[in-house]
Amino acid sequence: MKNIYSLFTVIMLTLSTTTNAQIVRAEIRATGLTCSMCSNAINKQLKSLPDVVDVTIDLNTNTFTVTLKEGNDLTPKIFKEKVEKAGFFIGSLVLTAKSNTLTQGSYIVVNDAKSNAAEIQFQVLDKGYVTEKEFKKLSKTYKNWETYAANNEDDFHIKIMKS
Amino acid sequence: MLFFIIGAAIHSQAQINIGDPLPSITLQNTTHKSVAITSFKGKYVLIDFWASWCAPCRVGNKKLVKLYKEVNSNVQEIIGISIDTDRNKWLQAIEKDKIKFTQLIDPNGFEAHTAIQFGVEELPAKYLFNPEGILIAKNPTEEEIVQFIQS
Repeated sequence: MKNIYSLFTVIMLTLSTTTNAQIVRAEIRATGLTCSMCSNAINKQLKSLPDVVDVTIDLNTNTFTVTLKEGNDLTPKIFKEKVEKAGFFIGSLVLTAKSNTLTQGSYIVVNDAKSNAAEIQFQVLDKGYVTEKEFKKLSKTYKNWETYAANNEDDFHIKIMKS
Repeated sequence: MLFFIIGAAIHSQAQINIGDPLPSITLQNTTHKSVAITSFKGKYVLIDFWASWCAPCRVGNKKLVKLYKEVNSNVQEIIGISIDTDRNKWLQAIEKDKIKFTQLIDPNGFEAHTAIQFGVEELPAKYLFNPEGILIAKNPTEEEIVQFIQS
């Protein structure tokens, strides 16, 4: 019994140390052969995630905005998986996260934008998170970044957006 | 948990299949009048789910406008059901696409009760019912619709 309590304490501690480092919101533009907004599939896939609070759709910008639960430990990978499961691809993924999120996962910042804000906004630039065309362009731009060309699916190259 | 299971069961059943009867649903038309979709029994009824923001639907509207002109309206009725949340955009699209057939709206996107009842997961979605009100085809082409009517 005592062991269970200590395990519980460890879990609670782990949770409390990570609550501040998290993705708060994801803005996803999807692409594909057919109209991505004309299908309910992406919406359903995103809503199936337990950490998703809400999905809203902006029909003018063709963007799905996903609001996530406090304390989640999701990485950008989940959005790619869900969109692809729905039969589409990510055209762009912009994340809003607590600023210390970057110190937790394997995020590699490719620009030198500095921000002291509590939340930062960044775009994921890796293959599968931008259009094919854009990826080709980015591959040239970042040809000196070994990690970018390596395409490790757990490394995320990000561009911090000006706030 | 039990509620979840019941909910999931209802949800998975909420779609109509070939051989199923036309559900009794009443929606508003462009002039806020209530129209029962079952009120056209005795004719072939083509139900077309669409939205103003759905580009393939707008292309499809042109074909439906043409079909509506070609087929005797005593034999077939076309009912467009929009899931637009913005009523004005819906009205503008009807005008722009020069739609003369019945237009109804369930303004709740894919969450619209009518869309859920039919099992609409993608736009456009078409359902053809025979004069007895039985579903005989899902997403038929215009050619297939004409063939059904003439057979």
